[in-house]
Amino acid sequence: MTLRRRILAALARRPALGTATLLAPGGLWLVLFFVVPMLLMLGASVMQRGTYGGVEPGFTLEHYRRFLDPLYLQVLWRTIVWAALATVACLLLGFPVAWVIAASRRHRSLLLFLVVLPFWTSFLVRTFAMIFLLRDTGVINSALLALGVIREPIALLYTPFAVLSGLVYGFLPFMVLPIYASLEKLDPALLEAAEVLGARPLERLARVAIPLARPGIIAGSLLVFVPAMGSFLTSDLLGGAKQVMIGNLVQNQFTTARNWPFGAAASFGVMAVVLVAVMVSLRLRDRDPGRVR
Amino acid sequence: MTSRREFVATAAALLAACRRNGGNAPAAGSEELGPLERELNIYNWSDYIAPEVIPGFEKEFGVRVTYDTYESSEEMVARLQAGASGYDLVVPTTYAVTALTETGLLARLSPRYLANLSNVAPVFRGLAHDPANAYAVPWLWGMTGIAWRTDLIADAPESWSVFLGGTQAGKMTMLDDMRDVIGAFLRYRGHSINSVDPAELEAAKRDAIQAKAHLKAYLSAPVKGQLIAGDVWLAQLWNGDAAQARKEQPALAWMLPEEGSTLWIDSLVVPKSAPHPRAAHEFINYTLRPAIAAAISAATGYGSPNQAAMPLIESPVPYPSPNELARLEIQKDLGRASEAWDRVWTEIKSA
Amino acid sequence: MKPAPKWLLAIAGIVYLLLHLPVLVLVLFSFNASRYSVSWSGFTFDWYRALAARGDLWRGLRASLTVGLVSTLVATCSGTLIALVLARRRFTGRRVLEGLVFLPLVTPEILVGISLLVLFVLAGLPLGLGTITIAHIAFNISFVVVVVRARLDGIDPHLEEAALILGADEITAFRTVTLPALWPGIIAGALLAFTMSFDDYVITSLVSGAGSSTLPMVVYGMVRRNVEPTVNAISTIILLGTSLLIYGADRLARAR
Repeated sequence: MTLRRRILAALARRPALGTATLLAPGGLWLVLFFVVPMLLMLGASVMQRGTYGGVEPGFTLEHYRRFLDPLYLQVLWRTIVWAALATVACLLLGFPVAWVIAASRRHRSLLLFLVVLPFWTSFLVRTFAMIFLLRDTGVINSALLALGVIREPIALLYTPFAVLSGLVYGFLPFMVLPIYASLEKLDPALLEAAEVLGARPLERLARVAIPLARPGIIAGSLLVFVPAMGSFLTSDLLGGAKQVMIGNLVQNQFTTARNWPFGAAASFGVMAVVLVAVMVSLRLRDRDPGRVR
Repeated sequence: MTSRREFVATAAALLAACRRNGGNAPAAGSEELGPLERELNIYNWSDYIAPEVIPGFEKEFGVRVTYDTYESSEEMVARLQAGASGYDLVVPTTYAVTALTETGLLARLSPRYLANLSNVAPVFRGLAHDPANAYAVPWLWGMTGIAWRTDLIADAPESWSVFLGGTQAGKMTMLDDMRDVIGAFLRYRGHSINSVDPAELEAAKRDAIQAKAHLKAYLSAPVKGQLIAGDVWLAQLWNGDAAQARKEQPALAWMLPEEGSTLWIDSLVVPKSAPHPRAAHEFINYTLRPAIAAAISAATGYGSPNQAAMPLIESPVPYPSPNELARLEIQKDLGRASEAWDRVWTEIKSA
Repeated sequence: MKPAPKWLLAIAGIVYLLLHLPVLVLVLFSFNASRYSVSWSGFTFDWYRALAARGDLWRGLRASLTVGLVSTLVATCSGTLIALVLARRRFTGRRVLEGLVFLPLVTPEILVGISLLVLFVLAGLPLGLGTITIAHIAFNISFVVVVVRARLDGIDPHLEEAALILGADEITAFRTVTLPALWPGIIAGALLAFTMSFDDYVITSLVSGAGSSTLPMVVYGMVRRNVEPTVNAISTIILLGTSLLIYGADRLARAR
């Protein structure tokens, strides 16, 4: 028997070994460079805050109790709403893009590339470009004024619209890429069959394409919602820092508030909430009858 | 279970502290610093130096300089407190110096290598954050005030109350900074910018929330572009940034409100973990030369604390007059009260 | 796949336009003579000339590229393996692993950064490009797993089983059946990972050391204080560079 067959035979006898080997590199990395640091922070979240920063010994649950204060729960809720809005917007705008990419044969790599290209500039630079576009003396207002469409500049910047635009702009590829990956595998014969059976274009989309693309949609939604929960720079730069998101709150604890344990506790609070959302969505995906199994 | 967790956490903290103070080089702070090293790592605010300073220093002393920048004094402090090392010089603001000394992260300076120290004006020595002048050498100083477009606003602002009224509603901004915003409204009511009194903070909070309705946004450094363009007519801003903006938009003025405001000083400090303490001291001494200090001030638009440099600057930022000094306060670290302040800031931002 | 219905094409077209409008503005203003990019005041190459003197920008670009490529490579490989296991095999603790993979995406960046910094300090690791790469791999694995998993869920496992029945061993079956079908997902995941790494600021700045500034770190300062057109210039160059790279790679792929 060749070496290859010997290895495969050994793995066949003990499938767990195969699983472990495949999981080893990534799993070990995550444990070492994510789980362990998080455990350190978990420890910090139940310690006393150092007066000038850092932590001091002394067990306490006050930071978690503090997070349950209505003020902070309100901040959390506001962040959830924004993240959800961004996710829905990304879905509505990103699905067509993913479809077009998956449907095209000749221009596929170009279209994929064009979606990702804006993100190879820096986040700040892109955001400032948006500010040039949106502000009162910016490109959009100047153009509209010159065309006579409006007589006074419209307040586009430092509005919820600007923040939503910024969030969508920042997270669109997260939605497009997984949906594309899912759609690309879609068998055109299924759509043709639906057409032959008399389904209208919208019906074909809603009852065939979307259910089959569900893994991608769910993956994309999670990839947008989850990081959006932690985002705060967009709200600061495009929203004029008039709202505080949970990301701002955590940032402040480690910096101006000098309250590391509360920052850690608040972070774990948010993570718990989001994890629940993730678990629910994963259950949704696994129960999906449209999934090929 | 509790005591075991406590033990592990304490052990971790102790371990981290030990590593901070370890190393083979003679600890910065001892009198004798050893020979001049070949390298130097500086960690400063971005855009906070004149371009010729580093090359000049490198050439004269034969030291290779690595120059990194940060955007937030507080993040730099958090990093150092978490144990980040490798930097020979950092430039914290007044109360950040306190945070660093109180957590034992700074080395005492060795004055024998700082011959030019006498160039620093007395008004910037012996201050609350460094009473014995043992840890910090002033780099640049500035004030927080109000900048406005003289061509768009007829009446010059005089007081912090301009943010409470509706005359420039929608065209005003304040800094996105907890200390600056709450501090402004504390001064407005005649209280100290370092107040920890709950009633005073509550009053400042109410004023800040009232002002928020009239604000276009909370903007810090990026407001310059908006002032130049005319999107913003009136902004809470530091004097140096206003001077920089005026270069491109002459119809811009800056004033210190009558109730008073903040005087801040950014200082050079040497972390205990500095790998090249001797080079750090030489650099501090180098920048204390009048010509060098003048160049730094001219390039950044901020005031030089170096009195020997003042005659060399074309249009220097004059030291605060006694009248102004009476209205200016230096920010102190809030210590345990930072929690209360943060709550107020969160409430203002949530309103 | 059938070509898209008209209205879907229209939406996609508008999205592409809006996506690139800020980029166009960016490129345009890199030629603007005004320093504060407030209004157009003349065409100039000055900012590109100024770039030559900005050694820090080029060093930052090189650092970002190095960290990006290495972290993408490692994360894509290990992430794909994890996705395979999660999709194909059952084992105790599977749900836990799924949750674990998601956690890095949920965690606020400053927490990730500070916690990693503390870990590196405790372990005595010198801060620098190495620690940055370690951090990037850690969060990139999650991105890759999610994207590849979505792709895997659409691939029929019976195809691989058929290959096995026909006599291929597991490695051959994987290589000839699953891998080609999985490939677009892997590429998509890698693209995402590289983008995340290239653009990251918070975590990177927290775990970096002296002299290991990446491009976002250098740019942040330039943009936060005054929006200097030099930043626009280097952004335009990066866009041009990556465009040429992708064009070349695409050409290569077609020629085969």
